[in-house]
Amino acid sequence: MRIFVCVALLLAMAPLGLPLFAMTLLTEALILGLLAMSLDLMVGYTRLISFGHAAAYGLGAYASGYLLLHTSLPLPFAVLAASVLAGVVAIGVAWVCTLAKGVSFSMLTLAFAQLLYAVAFKWTSVTGASDGLAGIPRTAGPFGVTVFQTKNGYYYFVLVCLLGAYLFCRSLVASPFGAVLRGIRENEAKTLSLGYNTRLYKIAVVAVSFALGGLAGALYSPFAGFANTELVFWLFSGQVLIMVIVGGQGTLIGPILGAAFFMLLEHVLSQYTESWALFFGLIFIGFVMFAPQGIWGLLTRRARA
Amino acid sequence: MALLELDGLTKRYGGVTAVNDVTMRVEAGEVRAVIGPNGAGKTSLFHLITGVVPATSGEVRFDGRVLSGLSSYQRCQAGLSRTFQLTSLFPEMTARENCRVAAQARLPRRWQPWGGTTVFGEASARGDEALERLGLSAVAGRPAGLLSHGDQRLLEVAMALSQRPRVLLLDEPTQGLSVEETLTAVDTLAGLFAGGGLTVLLVEHDMEVVFRLASKITVMHRGSVIADDVPSVVKDDAAVQAAYLGGYA
Repeated sequence: MRIFVCVALLLAMAPLGLPLFAMTLLTEALILGLLAMSLDLMVGYTRLISFGHAAAYGLGAYASGYLLLHTSLPLPFAVLAASVLAGVVAIGVAWVCTLAKGVSFSMLTLAFAQLLYAVAFKWTSVTGASDGLAGIPRTAGPFGVTVFQTKNGYYYFVLVCLLGAYLFCRSLVASPFGAVLRGIRENEAKTLSLGYNTRLYKIAVVAVSFALGGLAGALYSPFAGFANTELVFWLFSGQVLIMVIVGGQGTLIGPILGAAFFMLLEHVLSQYTESWALFFGLIFIGFVMFAPQGIWGLLTRRARA
Repeated sequence: MALLELDGLTKRYGGVTAVNDVTMRVEAGEVRAVIGPNGAGKTSLFHLITGVVPATSGEVRFDGRVLSGLSSYQRCQAGLSRTFQLTSLFPEMTARENCRVAAQARLPRRWQPWGGTTVFGEASARGDEALERLGLSAVAGRPAGLLSHGDQRLLEVAMALSQRPRVLLLDEPTQGLSVEETLTAVDTLAGLFAGGGLTVLLVEHDMEVVFRLASKITVMHRGSVIADDVPSVVKDDAAVQAAYLGGYA
């Protein structure tokens, strides 16, 4: 908890010391961190490998973008509504996907994400098709609060969302509900025979995971000012999964670090080479082979030794 | 009325009849063993009772309630807790956590998504009590995957016990144990059953184990029940001897 407060304070002071372009990168890293952390609930804590987490992100991004463009809903409410929408849609998605297990489950999540991708491409009146939604405003908050309209103000909004989501997830995985998720991860057949309706637990965790992933997407579109089909593309789903694994699955913090690491590397490598993804791929392979506990695993092992 | 009643229970897989018209009554408080040679249908019978597979015909009644159509988790919630023939645990959790998760399943707050360790009080107490009854308190803090095979078998019983089941179903509790481990396990189980209050249905093929533990024995052969009585009678039954016991008794 002491470390948590320290990191939170450090992040809160970041705008004082960092130039504006770095703040832009940091804001995006926190948003991606939130997305990766939400996926960790499924991948790391329940062993539900989703290849379609971009669906959550895209849903949130399009929904908040649409609300901000076409309604007068204050920004925080639009973001919240988009997050809830992603969670509700996830119940239906999970209902179908949990009919299968293992690889089949993963394939179904991928299929759903691609379905959403197709919808985003065709439903021109709502999604703007291949143009996407552009010019998404950061509207004023309720009661005339305008702080979200500035870059640093928006950064704080994102930071509060991330910290809140982290505390929520931490409490979730330590709760009785979280203990059942661990049971499903380690031995689903046993969990079922102990009297748990494991499918309902899985649907619940997918819904929570999508709601938080949707929150990340909902924060992204007013930050970037646009939402397009790339946010729902399967390639992005894969990248989020990589962030979780490179960061350290089943740790919540690890995936946030993984997302930051991914962004940093993309930023640095792409200055030198077009094929930065190749090098990131090599790094990913290295982690899987030599440090399956990820970045967070390496850090905590060093600390313990 | 008996606590657990099987009526004309039959299971066919294609042309093979694994369980053939089995009728059985398990009274509250008795330790019932189902024995029989390999392929006699013991495990199939177990699956029918626990709801892993549906019956072809016949029914299972528990405390007067027909269980047909209930899935395995619902039967557990009704009060039937089971162990597996092949050890099935949460290997990365400690023995204590294994029991806590098991106990939590029968408590109202099993869904609660917040609260951390503060809400585990009752589940932990039930789990720790079960561990103690099976002599596992000393290893409670160790990951289940690192326990000896004998302790793992007993831990599975402790998990079932921590659910405070109305019927405890044990699928070959000494499966895969060495001779010494079997003796220890049987002593522990005998002590547990001697305490009374438990209704147990166990499937077993080790005769020494069965005669130590059971108060009544049902003998199966090729899917059918060929004897159903107290151990001393079953031992002398001619049909049983022919089918199974050979020169043992």
